[in-house]
Amino acid sequence: MNGRREITISPTTRIEGHGKVTIVLDESGNVADAHFYATEIRGFEYFLRGMEADRLPFIISRICGVCSTAHITASVEAIESIYQTEITETAKRLRELLLMGQIISNHSLVCYFLTLPDFWFPLEEDSSKRNIFQIMRERPDVGRRAIALRSFGARILDVIGKREVHIFSVIPGGIINPLKERERVELLKEAENSYAIAKEALAMGKELFDKNWADFKKAGDYRTHYMALTKEDAVDFYSGNIRIINSEGGIVSEFTAQDYMEHVEEKIYPWTYAKFAYLKVLGWPEGIVQVGPTARINVNRRTTTEVANKEMQEFKSKFGRPAHITILLDYARLIDLMYAVERAREILQDSNVTRTDTRVKVEPKGGRGVGVVEAPRGTLAHEYVLSNDGRLDQLKLIIPTQINNQAINLNVKDAATEFIHHGEIKPGLLNRIEMVIRAYDPCIKCATRQAGEKLVVEIRNHRRKILTIL
Amino acid sequence: MKVSIVSLTCCAGCVSSFLNAGDALIEILSGDFEIVYSPTFIDLKEIPNVDLAIVEGGVRTKEDERLIREVRAKCRTLVALGLCATHGGVTSLGNILSLKNLLEKEYSLIDTTKLPELEDLMYPICNFVDVDYYIPGCPPMPFLIVHTLKSIVSGKQPTRHQSVVCTECHRKIVPAKLDRLYGIYEKEADPVLCMVSQGFVCLGSLTREGCGAPCPRAGFTCFGCRGPPDSMMYRSRDMYAFLVKVIASRTSIPEETVKEELYRNPFVFHTFIFSRFERFKARDRVV
Repeated sequence: MNGRREITISPTTRIEGHGKVTIVLDESGNVADAHFYATEIRGFEYFLRGMEADRLPFIISRICGVCSTAHITASVEAIESIYQTEITETAKRLRELLLMGQIISNHSLVCYFLTLPDFWFPLEEDSSKRNIFQIMRERPDVGRRAIALRSFGARILDVIGKREVHIFSVIPGGIINPLKERERVELLKEAENSYAIAKEALAMGKELFDKNWADFKKAGDYRTHYMALTKEDAVDFYSGNIRIINSEGGIVSEFTAQDYMEHVEEKIYPWTYAKFAYLKVLGWPEGIVQVGPTARINVNRRTTTEVANKEMQEFKSKFGRPAHITILLDYARLIDLMYAVERAREILQDSNVTRTDTRVKVEPKGGRGVGVVEAPRGTLAHEYVLSNDGRLDQLKLIIPTQINNQAINLNVKDAATEFIHHGEIKPGLLNRIEMVIRAYDPCIKCATRQAGEKLVVEIRNHRRKILTIL
Repeated sequence: MKVSIVSLTCCAGCVSSFLNAGDALIEILSGDFEIVYSPTFIDLKEIPNVDLAIVEGGVRTKEDERLIREVRAKCRTLVALGLCATHGGVTSLGNILSLKNLLEKEYSLIDTTKLPELEDLMYPICNFVDVDYYIPGCPPMPFLIVHTLKSIVSGKQPTRHQSVVCTECHRKIVPAKLDRLYGIYEKEADPVLCMVSQGFVCLGSLTREGCGAPCPRAGFTCFGCRGPPDSMMYRSRDMYAFLVKVIASRTSIPEETVKEELYRNPFVFHTFIFSRFERFKARDRVV
């Protein structure tokens, strides 16, 4: 045969931020190894040292423009745990509402703009057509609904967060401005409208899922641990304990946010700018764990809202407790979206949310603290050490994509193994690999940034000489 | 009009902001505006020749540099979207560390045959290519992006915002008597009084208008995410001395004390514009 070879896919398209995939083939032309890498780096962990705690939350949220609300909330929670501040119920409601706004705007983007085209167009079609703009041309109503749903999420962020991307109203001590009654009524009206759209999205998603299930279910089936926030066995994005379950569904451990860093460890590899996170007690690589929409369903028994709960029970009985198949992430994300819309509506229906006690006074001091929230892609944690004069001494961020990193790599290897035998590559490899990556909706921006190389598949020999370009 | 959307080193917030435009977005997309290349939305391999290229993000790696040159060669009009592209953005705070330091600290193992090499600093794109329109902001407001793109599509010049955020802020400048400056979390802001008059370090007086002043309006300080206004685009104007004078005159705190307080925090102004920025090129093109 022709020795060890390497296949490269770059950049991976239709995900937020861009990565690169390398598949290494052994002497007989079978898959020996596969890597998904992040090729970006910005260095937030270094240049933020010495920053005043005052300015930290709204600057650190610049890590990611897609999930900045989760970052600023986790950041403020970490600072509040150092200051030992207890915020008011109203502020808690508003923060949860902001997180729901973010889930709605993010998930509507991912579901409609990034993953829907895979289900909408059969895999074999012309790849340049497989995108949301083509769907919008064929079915303008679907496009309008997608944008209306996203706008609702953005509206929540704009009204309460005061900006649509990179909100700043979440501050240590609460929320900067109370919600006005007029704004609540306006948002509630939009919430009713979005509720109908989300239901339609769910029905459409399920129908498309059923149609493609037989073909897609082969891609990725990894039995790992799962981790998510839980509050009385129900899904929660803002408060509660962190629970870890094993691949059989048994609870391994449950702990509070402050203990988070004792359970999770990071690892670096020379071939990627994104770090890996794993469970400390199990070690590397046994401690591989997944977070995100499927994990949220696997870890919890129920949701507090009606429609999402019904869908969740249906999901569980159809796909198992826990469900493992990778592509189910796309399904689970729709249930997340439904939950977020229902929960946002529920919060807005209660007029107590307009109370004006949104802020308490904080007493700055030094120390160590952790903030944990559920970001769209899974559990997000910020840990800070502040000096006595209020500056940042150390920080550690564990970002969902880091946690899922190893699972993504294993899935890529799986998909590659399915499509490559004895050096022969079956058609459809490229999109299948991208689809499993896309299902995780990895946010490389969060873990780091993009290198935009041409999307080609190169096959190289062991001396890195190019043999063929697909 | 064929359009490409390209991301370099950034957080993807600027394109998110564009997608938040709602009905205006639908209006743009249904007009003469065909997005033909965008790794975020479209599975296209090669960068095609286009009429309009929208670039978010700045240049942190050699790969970014190669990409931005290729994009420039393949488009007629190039729009730099967001502060990372126009001024270097928040990532340019990394310029306080040397590249060697940055890599040694954590990424000492990096294999550069697999990953793109880093530039010595984070640069805005105008240091490498000619830019036709600059839309600063972290991120720019959806209406600003929509207005600029609509103008370009219809062949008109977009409105330029040359003055400072204070012109769009409702707050009243009333000289006050204070003994010290305040952190934004230390006290609640008065709803009508100028933020500086209350002792907060608000950068509105040296930040470009065009955003509608959402931050000071909500009782937060402006933190300068639109970059400097036209008057500050010349090196002769010292932002630091200017702000010291503004704060001192509105709070009656002695200039020396203000200086000392501001020195304590090195990140006050340069949070978003720390990189080397070729101002003379950008002067009349910032929207």
